[in-house]
Amino acid sequence: MAKKGKAKGTARGRTQTPNLRLFYGLLALVGVVGIGWIGFSVANQSSANAAIAPIQLTGINTDSLLKQARGVNSGKPEASAQVIVFSDFTCPVCMNYVAMIEPQIRTEFVKTNRIRYTHYDFPLGGEPHRYGFIAARAARCAEDQNAFWEYHDVLFGRQNEWAYAREVPLDIFTDYAGRLNMDKDAFDACLRSDRFADVVTANRVLGERLGVGATPTIFIGGRSYNWSDYDAIKAAIEAELGDTTSQ
Amino acid sequence: MALAALAGVLISGYMLLYKLGIITVLACGTGSCEIVQASPWAVFLGIPVPLLGVAGYGLILVTALIGIQPGRTADRRIALILLAAAAFAFGFSGWLSWLEAVRIHAWCRWCLGSAATATVLFLLALPEIAVLRGGRMVSQR
Repeated sequence: MAKKGKAKGTARGRTQTPNLRLFYGLLALVGVVGIGWIGFSVANQSSANAAIAPIQLTGINTDSLLKQARGVNSGKPEASAQVIVFSDFTCPVCMNYVAMIEPQIRTEFVKTNRIRYTHYDFPLGGEPHRYGFIAARAARCAEDQNAFWEYHDVLFGRQNEWAYAREVPLDIFTDYAGRLNMDKDAFDACLRSDRFADVVTANRVLGERLGVGATPTIFIGGRSYNWSDYDAIKAAIEAELGDTTSQ
Repeated sequence: MALAALAGVLISGYMLLYKLGIITVLACGTGSCEIVQASPWAVFLGIPVPLLGVAGYGLILVTALIGIQPGRTADRRIALILLAAAAFAFGFSGWLSWLEAVRIHAWCRWCLGSAATATVLFLLALPEIAVLRGGRMVSQR
């Protein structure tokens, strides 16, 4: 690009042609603007050391993955019938699932201790799901204080409040912890670290290995089911319970 | 070429800062930059791919700047470095884009920007073949 402006004599100092100097000026301008933008990005981060994206997992094979991936259970721990849900806290469809379908499953099967109901994280990443990973970590920090499901409900119930926030919603998450009478300092310290980044990342990778391509994905007895079809979900659970009771 | 290489350095540098943990949020738009960056292919032979990008684009930038100096415009060594580096960048970016499509199933728009930059660099480097053959300098360094 710069060659069009031929230099005459030596190229140093004032002997450079105006075109070459213009090119250097343009190059410097692009460099300054680019470095300035990157510097602005670094300076305007409010998340400090909080891990807000998946991390590099070492030695990903099936065994190590299963050790690192960990769901959150409710209901009867030893139940042989299990419902597994992969979801993202920023996903509006998941919010609908939690508002409409999950309460029915909880009432009919979880609170009655008939099944084991397990949540796995599947942070989608990218816009508009950029805070899915940190939200999943926040819920894990709540789990540390035995408040995962309460926090889970708050995150989905107030999704519009934080999922599209301009800045990483750390303060909002800590505020929720306070409202649930959790130890805010302990929660905040957990949130602003990389705790549970490995678990959440492993859960996501596990979901990918299981063929999860969207959220929510619901597995019952090794098969996935449409989140909105409660009748099908209920029938599948009852079939599982029927199978197990007949054995 | 120098301008495109500078853009490549800036893009790779931005991704490298994320990889090093200095930037915690990537301005990724509708892409899935974090997923791509967390994939096993974000490291090549033990070296973070963004670091390779900074080094590669940096090499092209410096070489192109040397190449536009009077007396260097027909330098075959400069032409060889520019052509080889641009061809490698083009091929490597193509392979990374293929991985995003087929293996990772996620797109990182900064990676795509880098791939576009590498493509532009490769096209701009093609006239260097004439220099290698002993012709006059007609390239867009």
